Amino acid sequence: MASSEILHVGIDLGTSRSAISASNGERFVVDSFVGWPADMVAKKILKRTVLIGHEAVANRTMLDLHRPLERGLLKEGSDKDVEAVRELLRHLLGLVGAKKNGKVDSSNVRAVVGVPAAALRTNKQYLRNSMKGIVDSLMIVSEPFAVAYGLNALLHTMIIDIGAGTTDFCVMKGRYPTEEDQRTLTIAGDSIDTHLVKLIEEHYPQANVTLFMVREWKEKFSFVGTPTQRANVVAPVKGVPTELDITNEIKAACETILPPIVETMLDLLSRVEPEFQERVRNNIILSGGGGLIRNLPKMLEDSLRQVGGGKVTYMEDPVFVGSDGGLALALDAPDSDWERLSA
Amino acid sequence: MRVGNIDRVKRQLLHEAVSDNVDTIRGLPPRRMRRLERTKGAWFRTTPLLLLPLTLLGASYIVVSESRGLAVARPVQKPTARPRNLATALPDSFEPVKAAAFPLAVKRVVLDAGHGGKDAGASSASLLSEKEITLDIERRLRLLLEHNGFEVVATRTDDRLIPLRDRARIANSSDSDIFISIHVNSLRSHTISHGVETYYLGPTKDPVLTQLAAEENGTSGYSIADLRKLLERVYADVRRDESRRLAATVQQQLYSDLRAVDPGLENWGVKRAPFIVLVATDMPAVLAEVGCLSNEREAAMLNEPHYRQQIAQALFRGIFEYSKKGT
Ligand SMILES: Nc1ncnc2c1ncn2[C@@H]1O[C@H](COP(=O)(O)OP(=O)(O)OP(=O)(O)O)[C@@H](O)[C@H]1O
Ligand SMILES: [Mg+2]
Ligand SMILES: [Zn+2]
Repeated sequence: MASSEILHVGIDLGTSRSAISASNGERFVVDSFVGWPADMVAKKILKRTVLIGHEAVANRTMLDLHRPLERGLLKEGSDKDVEAVRELLRHLLGLVGAKKNGKVDSSNVRAVVGVPAAALRTNKQYLRNSMKGIVDSLMIVSEPFAVAYGLNALLHTMIIDIGAGTTDFCVMKGRYPTEEDQRTLTIAGDSIDTHLVKLIEEHYPQANVTLFMVREWKEKFSFVGTPTQRANVVAPVKGVPTELDITNEIKAACETILPPIVETMLDLLSRVEPEFQERVRNNIILSGGGGLIRNLPKMLEDSLRQVGGGKVTYMEDPVFVGSDGGLALALDAPDSDWERLSA
Repeated sequence: MRVGNIDRVKRQLLHEAVSDNVDTIRGLPPRRMRRLERTKGAWFRTTPLLLLPLTLLGASYIVVSESRGLAVARPVQKPTARPRNLATALPDSFEPVKAAAFPLAVKRVVLDAGHGGKDAGASSASLLSEKEITLDIERRLRLLLEHNGFEVVATRTDDRLIPLRDRARIANSSDSDIFISIHVNSLRSHTISHGVETYYLGPTKDPVLTQLAAEENGTSGYSIADLRKLLERVYADVRRDESRRLAATVQQQLYSDLRAVDPGLENWGVKRAPFIVLVATDMPAVLAEVGCLSNEREAAMLNEPHYRQQIAQALFRGIFEYSKKGT
């Protein structure tokens, strides 16, 4: 294959968002939702056999809707989830123009796919089989590793990726991360949402709120520590749109992730060889949508004080760090390596 | 020199990533089971390191050479396509029949899916909310009507908040024959019993109905003065008989069809109440509360496409019966 025909791509397969970066300069992000028309009528109305991303969410009443990597795992034995992953990959490849005669054609694609660390740990084989035959060559890596690689943060660094389904930790020690270098918590964006619904309903028993509503509010007002503004939102109370102050609820819900994250961070730090601990403490990188919670870096830094202090930095543009890292891996891998990775 | 180090670390990491994947292809157990002491070793420990995490604080930390063509980051593009206008989205076999081919009293129907946008209507945390259920039923009903020769005008076709005033305006400017507003109840006093009911315009003394009307009238877009004027129409409604007849036909079909699937369903009958959409529309108009989200079992049923299709069919039969009687 002439190398000019080859398209290299990096894909970040997330529980809530998936992103792709391609060597032709195209980058896209979609919501990780895949839906099939739930019945004949829905098929007629939607006139499509499968809907992806934002479109799938908008038509969710008509769809059998799947979020294939919910909780950071590809559920084994669920054909629908496997098919959803495949559709998601095909869709992303189509977006960056991996097409021939108008049809998605990925026979010339070399892809590095980053998945939640836990998914890779639990069953690499299954994951690989699930993606079989979609691209020419495939390399699957853990998401935090792709992030670290893309940032050149390869040594004495800790990545904390707070996503929707999971929070992934990865300490980079200049080697391909092993089991002991990584941790996964199922405490992340989704669990904040669930708490927030509960807390709001406790405070305002008459109010009706859904997970979709609270996610929007959270993304607008999220913070930990001292509030800098009030979080006033409009929700139906006994059917009448009413303004509610949910500042305390937002704070409480966001702070539920603090103790487990701090504990895991400190535990991983304590396992770093003593001479390098200080370097790692000063190179903690926060990524993922959950990292956008206001004041979170500072709260984590406060908790590092008990072990000598440290520095937590948030990624400026978290959307594509994973897929860009995957693309960097794809481009750096020599042809001879790619030939061993046919999918 | 530093760059050289980075490249070395990267090459090593890349090599390990590839090996890990090759092992998977060969069906070998994951690498962690047979950890390589080598990785802990030697050179990078002693190399004064570095690296780029520090440049995180600066700007360009994504080190990709220009030749790779990544330099220009395109803006994030989300697919924005929405389902097209249903009339054009229908497959050929579903070609709408021309209304004129049928001698029916009703040619054009306004369908009004209750709520939308930030007004979710009744809802529960894990299941669909009222605005989603009503839009779904509206789309199903629309397909049935068009397939059977009716023309349909919709007050909303997506998840958007349309003030009641605009809904009435859409209806009144469409030269339609009847108006059907679709809603779902959520009554805290009715967590055990559940039923269907259909409203037409009229004054009510029932405090429960007053409360319900207040809830459904939430986002009206009318001023108090406008409302006062509109209220006079409640008492002098020339459409009342037709609206009552439409309500009765719709209610009867709703109840008899849905009870077949849900034996516990109660018939709460035809009622009068001052819903604004009913006041402000010029054609015979009804508001159907096609289910109850406050009943857990029914909320689960409303979550099923199959049940919503049955509701759409029941509404369709009601409209069809009404239109036959008129000829
Ligand atoms: N400003 C914000 N404040 C708090 N949370 C946010 C904010 N913006 C996005 N989020 C949350 O971040 C999560 C999505 O993050 P991200 O896109 O990194 O997840 P993901 O990569 O799909 O998930 P995972 O890493 O678990 O696979 C969602 O829960 C979202 O609600
Ligand atoms: Mg992620
Ligand atoms: Zn309603």
